[in-house]
Amino acid sequence: MSVKDPKLNRRAMLLGAVFLVGGAAALTRFSRQSSADGSRGPVFSADQFALLEQVTEVIIPATDTPGAIGAGVPAFIRDLLMNWGSLESRAQIAGVLETIEQRTWSKHGAAFLELPDSQRLELMRVYDEESVRAHDPAYRKFKQMVLLGYYHSEIGATQELRFELVPGAWRSCLPLNEVGRASAFWTS
Amino acid sequence: MDFDAIVVGSGISGGWVAKELCERGLRTLMIERGRHVNHRKDYLDFSPPWELPNRGLVPEDEVKEHYAIQGTSYAFNAGTKQFWVKDSEHPYSTPDDRSFLWYRGYHLGGRSLTWARQTYRFSDIDFSANKKDGHGVDWPIRYADISPWYDRVERFAGISGASEGLEQLPDGQFLQPMDLNCAEHAFKERLEKQHPTRRVTIGRCANLSEPTEEHIKLGRGPCQLRSVCDRGCGYGAYFSTLSSTLPAAQRTGNLTVITDTIVESLDYDHAKRRVSGVRVMDTNTKQRRSYQARVVFVCASTIPTAQILLASRSEYFPDGLANRSGAVGRYLMDHVQGVGAIGTMPGFLDRYYYGRRPTGIYIPRYANVTEDNSAQFVRGYGFQGKGERPSWDRGIDQVGIGAGLKQGLRDPGPWQMVLFGFTEMLPRADNRVTLHATRKDQWGIPLVHIDCTHGENDLKLAAQAKQDAQDMLNVAGCENVRSLFPQVSPPGSSVHEMGTARMGRDPATSVLNAHNQAHDVPNLFVTDGSCMTSSGCANPSLTYMALSARAANHAADRLASGEL
Ligand SMILES: Cc1cc2nc3c(=O)[nH]c(=O)nc-3n(C[C@H](O)[C@H](O)[C@H](O)COP(=O)(O)OP(=O)(O)OC[C@H]3O[C@@H](n4cnc5c(N)ncnc54)[C@H](O)[C@@H]3O)c2cc1C
Ligand code: SF4
Repeated sequence: MSVKDPKLNRRAMLLGAVFLVGGAAALTRFSRQSSADGSRGPVFSADQFALLEQVTEVIIPATDTPGAIGAGVPAFIRDLLMNWGSLESRAQIAGVLETIEQRTWSKHGAAFLELPDSQRLELMRVYDEESVRAHDPAYRKFKQMVLLGYYHSEIGATQELRFELVPGAWRSCLPLNEVGRASAFWTS
Repeated sequence: MDFDAIVVGSGISGGWVAKELCERGLRTLMIERGRHVNHRKDYLDFSPPWELPNRGLVPEDEVKEHYAIQGTSYAFNAGTKQFWVKDSEHPYSTPDDRSFLWYRGYHLGGRSLTWARQTYRFSDIDFSANKKDGHGVDWPIRYADISPWYDRVERFAGISGASEGLEQLPDGQFLQPMDLNCAEHAFKERLEKQHPTRRVTIGRCANLSEPTEEHIKLGRGPCQLRSVCDRGCGYGAYFSTLSSTLPAAQRTGNLTVITDTIVESLDYDHAKRRVSGVRVMDTNTKQRRSYQARVVFVCASTIPTAQILLASRSEYFPDGLANRSGAVGRYLMDHVQGVGAIGTMPGFLDRYYYGRRPTGIYIPRYANVTEDNSAQFVRGYGFQGKGERPSWDRGIDQVGIGAGLKQGLRDPGPWQMVLFGFTEMLPRADNRVTLHATRKDQWGIPLVHIDCTHGENDLKLAAQAKQDAQDMLNVAGCENVRSLFPQVSPPGSSVHEMGTARMGRDPATSVLNAHNQAHDVPNLFVTDGSCMTSSGCANPSLTYMALSARAANHAADRLASGEL
């Protein structure tokens, strides 16, 4: 990797992780959906998309600013898998959603969408903690998509965080409360 | 004669040569193999993240199929994709067990569009290093020869930086420096206190912190602190061929530019000891033709320049033009990369910054300059780095979801300090570019074969730099200090490839003289990185600029006096 600017290198590390091809990722219904000639079919069924919506909203809920659904994160992930993701990535994200469903069934004997908010949150909290600690690449990719989808949406960047297309000045050391929130760029 | 001069390549060095020659009144033809790029119009610098395709990510399958090498650069993304070659269309070969990462873009402006704009002078410590320790041949110039040309190119390009009065990193003609942020200030104070032999300064960079009249006349404006430079800058606020040297050359009325035209080889007329023609091929129609001029500057960048010279065989130069020494293609160098560390700087949690500064910090070389490491290795290394407060992306690797995650990410994270080493690489004959015996590209041109490894000294330097990076972060009070890379990355990773047509005093061991003129072919000049006799440890492009301007003016003088 060529590294000139640490800030950009950070981005490289971020992107590098995205290029990671999940080795023996089990083929799931998502990749099976692509037809024999290799063309890409729709990524999610209506049910799967509904699950994706609720899962992302649990990760980034609406508070005093919109949450994942309000910022269009589910549609972003769908489009990303359609236009950007390899079959492996599709399979990884599919695997994450399947794992969530499986965990829900084995713990609660119900579908995720049927759970009350508090149980959704608790289920995802445990899954997140375990996956982050285990460095699970599929979950990492999923969480990265959710956060990228949110914080680099117009809503996430400008309402939740702070974003200037053209800052126009460099002020090197200011009281944080004068600047306000974190910059939506993950760099200075 | 079609032209007074031909310049092959429109990157950093070709742009400088064209500007200087045109300003000296020479009718100049610039030949570029890539497509035309329109300054401003073709850049994506005004797209916020949510307007870039896939938020800036290039589709995975596309990367795998077309950008296997280029896609590994930190600067490769949807906003810059147009400035990288497709590896699928521009293959090269390496031995199976030795990779070389060759990062490049074939288009008007070359890598002047994507470079990170870090600009440091070489010093006499660099220019005399080969002579002193016997690795490589002696440079035919010293700092005094190039210093006025550094002045000239810095003033024109516009370099922001701070003067430090260091022997190993000469000061220059600087525009106002950008400030260190709070964590960097603390890092500087603590490090310099613990290690009085070391210095921390703001990264010198080709960004207009305050444009001069000269810059404004060329249509360039002040830097807006956006840090999307590698997409191209609509303000013309950083130095590129397109923002700077090209418009300067064009306003003289002496420049002709042709794009989509590959230079294949040069014809040599032994009776006149001259390059007599430049053979080209249209990339689209594959039609061949040739151009003539009184002088020819090859500035296609280090590897393609070696390729062109090696492909230019004649009865008198059976091993490639100007290659009586056998040095063409050899002594390939880069800076060892993949050495670095990161740590958390405690405190300053109520401090932040505004704007996206397009440079970081720099720690000039101290090894074997202000500190003696001669028992361990020769030469040295420098560091680029930065202090910053990470934003939302840190949430990816942290445990936590929900309202708590969201609330936590509203504030920037704790200060992180990072350091990346840039390590000098010695010139070694075995590190080499040749033409592949059988494989050809889609234009029927033999592929380049690159065989390059890090030597023992190079790796010793890198190991020490890796250790130093961690030590310096620790000494400055950082916590959780760790190495950034498990091992050094393959040669080429710094994108500082150089040395394949080195300058030297002796025609028997070098290709170019003190004016970047081929020893054996007076009307042939080479001013890109291939001319470098040693690699130093500083980013080299500023030196290519100064040598290009110097050589172009030398050629213009000789043409005027009738000696060429
Ligand atoms: C991401 C990145 C960051 C970098 N950061 C820095 C930095 O901070 N500081 C620094 O000093 N350097 C940096 N560099 C390196 C810097 O870009 C190069 O050193 C510099 O551009 C070399 O200039 P050049 O003129 O030799 O070659 P280039 O700029 O590569 O230009 C060569 C041109 O020649 C053309 N060409 C090639 N072959 C032929 C042919 N056969 N016929 C016709 N035309 C041909 C190419 O298409 C190209 O346009 C960086 C590079 C990259 C990619
Ligand atoms: S940081 Fe400055 S030079 Fe870079 S793109 Fe922005 S305005 Fe242009």
